[in-house]
Amino acid sequence: MDLRSFEDRIKNGGRLSANEALTLYRHAPTHWLGRMADGVRRRKHPEPVVTYIIDRNVNYTNVCVARCNFCAFYREVGHAEGYVLGFEEIFRKIEETQALGGVQLLLQGGHNPDLPIAWYEDLFRSVKQRYPDFKLHALSPPEVLHLSRTSRLPVPQVIDRLMAAGLDSIPGGGAEILVDRVRQLLNCYGKATSDEWLEVMRHAHRAGLRTTATMMYGTVETDEERLEHLLRLRALQDETGGFTAFITWSYQPEHTERGGAEATGIEYLRTLAIARLVLDNFDNLQASWVTQGGKVGQLSLAFGANDMGSVMIEENVVRAAGAVYCMDEVEIVRNVEDAGFQPKRRNMHYDILGDPFFRERSVPRTLELATARDAGDTSVPAELVNYPARSAAGKRQRSQPPASPVA
Amino acid sequence: MDINLAIAERARAGESLTAAELDELASADLLSLGMLADEVRRSRVGDTVTYVRVFEWSASARTGSGELRRDSAEAASGREGEPVPSKAGEIRIAVVPESLAGAVAAIGNARAAAPKVLLTAFSLADIVDRAWAPLVDVLRQLKSAGLDAIAEAPIDRVADLAGALQACQDAGLAARCLSLQKPVGGARIDLLVLLQTLAARFAWVQTVAPLPREQSVAVPTTGYDDVRAVAMARLALPAVRNIQVDWAQYGPKLAQVALTFGANDVDRVSPIDDETLGRRRTAVEDVKRNIAAAGFTPVERDLPFDSQRGGASPLAQGRPQ
Ligand code: SF4
Repeated sequence: MDLRSFEDRIKNGGRLSANEALTLYRHAPTHWLGRMADGVRRRKHPEPVVTYIIDRNVNYTNVCVARCNFCAFYREVGHAEGYVLGFEEIFRKIEETQALGGVQLLLQGGHNPDLPIAWYEDLFRSVKQRYPDFKLHALSPPEVLHLSRTSRLPVPQVIDRLMAAGLDSIPGGGAEILVDRVRQLLNCYGKATSDEWLEVMRHAHRAGLRTTATMMYGTVETDEERLEHLLRLRALQDETGGFTAFITWSYQPEHTERGGAEATGIEYLRTLAIARLVLDNFDNLQASWVTQGGKVGQLSLAFGANDMGSVMIEENVVRAAGAVYCMDEVEIVRNVEDAGFQPKRRNMHYDILGDPFFRERSVPRTLELATARDAGDTSVPAELVNYPARSAAGKRQRSQPPASPVA
Repeated sequence: MDINLAIAERARAGESLTAAELDELASADLLSLGMLADEVRRSRVGDTVTYVRVFEWSASARTGSGELRRDSAEAASGREGEPVPSKAGEIRIAVVPESLAGAVAAIGNARAAAPKVLLTAFSLADIVDRAWAPLVDVLRQLKSAGLDAIAEAPIDRVADLAGALQACQDAGLAARCLSLQKPVGGARIDLLVLLQTLAARFAWVQTVAPLPREQSVAVPTTGYDDVRAVAMARLALPAVRNIQVDWAQYGPKLAQVALTFGANDVDRVSPIDDETLGRRRTAVEDVKRNIAAAGFTPVERDLPFDSQRGGASPLAQGRPQ
């Protein structure tokens, strides 16, 4: 392998083909890949700045009919541990987020058949009414598709309605690997095929929304399929330019039906670096400290990442699968500075909002991420009776008098 | 900053770098430093990574009985009373009892439990602090009780480390590795120079564990700190064969990345293949998978840095007489 010729190509902004990317991914030395990715990163971001966002990762429900076999988070309809957050609970989370300098919720959840589109619209509207400047980065493409299916409305119409209610941007979750062979094996083909996932993003971009893109690797896919995923994202980005950032993480196997072992830290750094080289039309790559830990999360900054992602405040999905890392703003900033960069707060559009919030105002340290609810809290929000349920279990629950919410 | 080519050449040639050269290397770009350390490591020890499965005991601090306990995770899992697993390549006793009699008894108990397994114990700093008797006499007694090596000698906790290592040499009892107790912010050059001096004087010092044993929960060392420390140790210490990283303390991800920055030995792999003990006690298969995924060949050792079970031990061969 002639690394020299690749070096020249990459330094001059040349585009990698699928075969070239595969050769590098499989055979290039890890530090070499990192240096190339770092070079591209520096070309795109000449200022020594690393950004992050203060937002909260809220999962409004864990009830899901999709049953992806890599997921440890979901509960079946009618399960005793199934929950839906009430509007008041979500408002409280927003206020806690604002107190920490937060500017948005990353709001995602299971495919709950008992939450009609009106529930989402009412939630978004009431959030915007109470917190007009607060942003809703909400509903990954499979959730949008789920709403399209349950409401029998075409995807563009669902997006329009959600935007009218207050949706600001769409997170790139649910992409896993955008190859249908893989999606069938992961039992996530039904929730969204590769084309359907991309099509939701295409519609969102056309409607004026910016979105992120993700890749969860390390289940059943081949190296070629990881690269096919990246190339499909690159093609859509060429077409629409609507992706603000790319985030990759490794499959977290604990407590999942699929099981198996997690891909290693080196594999993560190599995957991140090759993504930086292949996704030449993406400006921003995030470090996934929540799956890799703070140390490898920080090392991501030498392998192509220019953003430390989110402070998160709360996390439920990867925690359910065994990852329990936590980085509050103080810790993110310390790691960014230790790596030789200036930390800057940003919004979802990557506009710089300012210097670290904790340096302007005193905020408590967080050494553990919050969860959606306290253990054992099985309360059912009172407002749910206003929305028709589809499932038998949901109908039964809504015909009962509401339980008083847990204080 | 790119690496100074003349310094890189001297490191490749296995020459001892000066404090000024180390200082300059320390500010080099992280990946260039990693590349150079990896190159030097491959030419020094090839592409193998050794690992050892360590069965750990804590000696009871207060009694003189030498009573031994397992740590809380294993105690909680109901394994406390289990015998030494057959897969253990080393037994290590942490926590020095208050009395020399207690220490000798603890070693005797461990030796009786597993007569043929390498037995290491205690931090040399703790033994020095106890000041039970002249150090060399204490070390001789521990050796007579069945100890194969002192578990570690933290370079930042023993005021006269050269004197303490000389006592080890005089007693014929090696220290398994030189380690670092507390995190050091940035300036490590003086410690690296101290290590160079010690390695030059005591040729049997063949292992350095450069990552700190203590971490702050609120302000842990960063990934950059850790891999830079590993790379600097590899480049500063051409006379030392093994740069070691602790799997149980640093976890699979950082430990694996450290292998590509010059480390060649993985310490404290659990001898119990039971994932219910947590992510850092993963089964040996997972350790091997991580080593292979980093591009190296995993080799288990049961005596210090002897790659063949039952083979001759460099520690035994090189043991100070
Ligand atoms: S990954 Fe999402 S869609 Fe799949 S089962 Fe889990 S919650 Fe449901």
